[in-house]
Amino acid sequence: MSELEIAKFIPWVPAVGAALCGLCCTRERFRAWAGPICVASILIAFAMSVGIYSHVVGDGHGGEAGHHIAGPHVVTLYTWMTAGAMTVDMGYFLDSLTMIMLFVVTGIGTLIATYAMGYMKHDPGYPRFFAFVALFIFAMLTLVMADNLILLYLGWEGVGLCSYLLIGYYSKYPVAVVAAKKAFIVNRVGDLGFALGIFLTYYQFGSIDLNVIIPAATQMIEDGYTQTAVLSWIPFLLLIGAVGKSAQIPLYTWLPDAMAGPTPVSALVHAATMVTAGVYMIARLTPVFQLSPYALPTVALVGGVTCLFAATIALNSNDLKGVFAYSTVSQIGYMFLGVGVGSVGGVFHLSTHAFFKALLFLTAGSVMHALAGNLDIRTMGGLRRKMPVTCWLMFCGCLALAGFPFTSGFYSKDLLLGDAMAVGQTWATVAGVLGIITAFVTAFYTFRLWFTVFMGKEKYDIGDAHHTPDNELEKAMIGVAKEEAEHTGHHPHEPHEMPWWPMNVPLLILAVGSLFYGMLVKKITPWIADMLHASTEFAAIHVEHHGADYGGGFDTHQVVEIISGALAVLGVLLAMVLYWLKPGLAGKLTAPIRPVVTLLANKYYVDELYDLLFVKPLRVIAYLSYAIDQFIIHGLVLAFGWVPRLVGMTVRPAQSGKLQGYGIGMACGLALVAFIVFWATA
Amino acid sequence: MDFQAFLQSLQPLLIPAMILFPLAGGILLLLLPRHELHKICYGTFYTTFITLLLALTAAGVFDWERSGEVQLKFDLNWINAFGLRLEGGVDSLSMWFVLLTTFLMPLVMLEAFTHLRQRTGDRAKEFFFWLLFAESAMIAAFCATDLIFFYVCYEFTLIPLFFLIGVFGSTDRKKAAMVYFCYSFTGSMLMLAGILYVAWFNTTLPVEELVATGALAADTRLALPQLGEWTFNFNHLKEAAQYMDGTQQAFVLLALMCGFAVKVPMFPVHTWLPLAHTEAPTAGSVDLAAVMLKLGSYGMLRFALPTAPIAVVDYAPFIAVLCVIGILYTGLICWVQKDLKKLIAYSSVSHMGFVVLGLFAINNIAIGGSVFYMLSHGLSTGALFLCVGMMYTRLHTRQMSDLSGLGKQFPVWAFFVIFFALCSVGLPGLNGFPGEFLTLMGTFQAPLLGWPFALAAGLGMIVAAMYILYFVGKVIFGPLKIPTDTSHGPIETHDLNFKEICTLAPIAVVCLWLGLYPNPVLVTVEEAIDPIIIPAERVMQARLEAAPIETADGSNADWRGQTLAANAEGGEP
Repeated sequence: MSELEIAKFIPWVPAVGAALCGLCCTRERFRAWAGPICVASILIAFAMSVGIYSHVVGDGHGGEAGHHIAGPHVVTLYTWMTAGAMTVDMGYFLDSLTMIMLFVVTGIGTLIATYAMGYMKHDPGYPRFFAFVALFIFAMLTLVMADNLILLYLGWEGVGLCSYLLIGYYSKYPVAVVAAKKAFIVNRVGDLGFALGIFLTYYQFGSIDLNVIIPAATQMIEDGYTQTAVLSWIPFLLLIGAVGKSAQIPLYTWLPDAMAGPTPVSALVHAATMVTAGVYMIARLTPVFQLSPYALPTVALVGGVTCLFAATIALNSNDLKGVFAYSTVSQIGYMFLGVGVGSVGGVFHLSTHAFFKALLFLTAGSVMHALAGNLDIRTMGGLRRKMPVTCWLMFCGCLALAGFPFTSGFYSKDLLLGDAMAVGQTWATVAGVLGIITAFVTAFYTFRLWFTVFMGKEKYDIGDAHHTPDNELEKAMIGVAKEEAEHTGHHPHEPHEMPWWPMNVPLLILAVGSLFYGMLVKKITPWIADMLHASTEFAAIHVEHHGADYGGGFDTHQVVEIISGALAVLGVLLAMVLYWLKPGLAGKLTAPIRPVVTLLANKYYVDELYDLLFVKPLRVIAYLSYAIDQFIIHGLVLAFGWVPRLVGMTVRPAQSGKLQGYGIGMACGLALVAFIVFWATA
Repeated sequence: MDFQAFLQSLQPLLIPAMILFPLAGGILLLLLPRHELHKICYGTFYTTFITLLLALTAAGVFDWERSGEVQLKFDLNWINAFGLRLEGGVDSLSMWFVLLTTFLMPLVMLEAFTHLRQRTGDRAKEFFFWLLFAESAMIAAFCATDLIFFYVCYEFTLIPLFFLIGVFGSTDRKKAAMVYFCYSFTGSMLMLAGILYVAWFNTTLPVEELVATGALAADTRLALPQLGEWTFNFNHLKEAAQYMDGTQQAFVLLALMCGFAVKVPMFPVHTWLPLAHTEAPTAGSVDLAAVMLKLGSYGMLRFALPTAPIAVVDYAPFIAVLCVIGILYTGLICWVQKDLKKLIAYSSVSHMGFVVLGLFAINNIAIGGSVFYMLSHGLSTGALFLCVGMMYTRLHTRQMSDLSGLGKQFPVWAFFVIFFALCSVGLPGLNGFPGEFLTLMGTFQAPLLGWPFALAAGLGMIVAAMYILYFVGKVIFGPLKIPTDTSHGPIETHDLNFKEICTLAPIAVVCLWLGLYPNPVLVTVEEAIDPIIIPAERVMQARLEAAPIETADGSNADWRGQTLAANAEGGEP
């Protein structure tokens, strides 16, 4: 067995872990084992990924990007399905892009699961939680390693299921159940698009294997294919799937609600990994997306619009996790923008975002934990003294999210924005400009949150002690925290750091990654950069074709870097003035634009709009259908059942038993026969 | 005589033994005194268990390499004058359905043992007799190759269910039993008329003339000696039906579909099902949902499709429209149900819409998916009915408004419900997925149907998620709420007992197995469905040759036409 062969067991290690954690649910004395089992299984998967790294990517270091990269490898575990001429394997596709995703999923996954071991320690559903997490990792790994679209779909729906289970984890609270349901159903809408895309791909290419369709599509592009209407539908159908999973306009509404899950889940599933699946899929299938001249521009514009749109909502959100949720939507918008313009930056940003967003969510979790479930940032202030470690760790994350110069977020974001401007086409420029504006907004809302929470005068509410929570989510969170306090017999009256040191180690690693990973890739080691470049090799062709002005004049990339870096600094400074140095000024400034603020606070009323457009009419139709079924269709059947009875009733008088009646009947009959006979002979 | 040869000689007895064993067990059961519940229970369980072993033996003897052929044949004279024979055998298609039936029966029995007295009073004997009777009839129907034999067994499944619902059902049982019986019986009478018509047509066939003109190949003639005479052997009738014209086939298809569509049930003749399910005892519901509905779709696949290929090609889009309406319409109805059993019953109608849609897409992918869907629907819906039944025996209510947050109180039960709900919603990795996905995929590729049908039916995936999660969210999640009304008996709040876990766990294991490794089923079924599709494919190909579709420029061609061309060339798109 070659060493590459172990790759096919990578997803199954967490699957076994999930099964074991599931078994831990059944016996009280095995409860505590679930966490370590889960972490160990993800860690083993990580180690296996490291083990196959050199075999997949090749052993060369340095040299020109992409040149030493070996072609994709496929390893097959067994044949999953056969139908007609189609064979679907449990096969795994290994190349640079897969490797990046493997590292992100298993690496960040291990860190978050370690943190969760402490965070969920006193939760009564501890083993269940880790069973779901391990199952999620299985599904996510299947998604990123699948060598055919149907297996990818398995991972795709699998992560959706785990997301459902984990969002609804605090199932006692209706808000969590509703949010979970919403996430699953909105995702299903996307999944339908994805499924139709798969059907059409099979119809066109006669295969659903990645190593058939990607070369075929590349070949078609090189041949200057004659574009047919059917072909160009494929990318759009796939895009519906990507938009659903990655929470982009118009299917983003589930992600902010998904914050009802435990915080480590928000970090792992709804920030670092699952929601980037759409980006991965587009990056993976870039050649297929290039089959339609409108597909990638659409991706870029969807990304550009979403990133600004979500950032503006985050501006006015007062919910600690809500801000980060919208910022996730916004950052994935950047990634869409990146893969849409064919930039390496898309996948690069995916990997940097995993670091800093996981860090932000986990530190937010620490704050929440310390304040017994309180999420409202208006009731917080000056927490830096009570929780200095959390404060500065979150600061690192905020810097990276804001794209502050020389942090990870800065490099990846500016790479993709620079590429967008370098394409030189209107759509790309528009998307790029949207992205640059967002850079400023992002810096501002990020530090608005950080300054509000950690700087200024010290104030805090523990749970609902002093204020009434204004949203359902917070109420549920406070409920959860209360329950937890009961389980531990520990009633916090004062914010405190996380008590268990292993919880801070993952945070530290994430913080280092948030700050230096970008620089490492960009300036120091070429191997990750090579891997990144190779991962979106097809896409890179796209940018060069459109003639970036790398040589003459000024360098677009540098200009963009300077502009967006400056905007980020400006955003941070503005937030510092408004929310730390001169609190109260913000209120005065926004007073004249109250309606805009209200609009933002209500998230543009999109949820209400969807409710009105889809949910309510569907409900009416459903009730109507039921009524039709009960009364009209079943009624007709019953009416049909009356036919024999009616016939019987009409002819019953003839069988009265009276001799006279029979006599008349006989006479009439005879007369009729006689008439017919005579008439016939006449 | 050596042992091998002896075993060989026993082979033809295997299937009849499997058919008769439950019936014999049932009759012996009637001889037991009615108060000896213990003996009755054990007797039933072992009867069904030994039947399962017989079925497994049959599966072991069955040559899976030649899975498209009818094997383990048996053949007995019945009524010579009309060529009626009790003949049957199994190919892979029948084999899987027989396995499904025999696998579920012991589990159904096991579930029925808890609270037996409360449910059946002192009539447990009859209860089990009818269940065993039903098992015999179902197995026989799946094995029959003589149409009248099939028809008789098909009708015999009605009788046990009629009594199970009418005697052991809940409040509105008499009406439900009546509606069920009359509805199904009316349908099957029309089906019988169709069968008789085909048989009569066979007797009028001028065989020698056809052989002389070369329309009928000589070796086919040799293989089918009864052509032109009274016979109900399906191979003969299928061959004879090929000489019908389009109108005649349309009538045959209509007649057969009347019977099968009611059984499946298809929109708009589905209204008996929610009624029957709500009133039936759990065991009856499981039998009905898991196996008897499949008799309808099995009948369509096995008898209707190959007998009337011209009519099938002509009317497939119409039937598919009914399926799509059924999928969406009943799916939405599920979403507003208040009664758990009714919800699952309506969801069955929605799911069976997928099955029939797949059948009428007439290609390997869709039909393979459809057969798989039948099997997996049997498992997951059957299991859901079992779960609901288990809760009903504890809490005496099926109203969702009375229940909430049961996951907290009954974690094991909740695990199984969520598991089977996910199977039923078609989650990849579980058994619902291959069927649903392949059905839609085949529909999409089908020249007769194409993307509009796949899209519309695909919306059913979303609707399914809506109603299943509505059900799970309402009953399992949320704050705990258990009814306090004890007028129907004491409320019990203990989780599943060992017997009940033993009932559900095997089904769950099989569901997982079929989800992760469906290939054995798909591969073996493939060979059996090939001969079924061929007549219809021939018709399509002939149509194509008669009126070729212009695809010269390739840019704006009718893409459904393209598939047709591709199908005609290589048998694959």
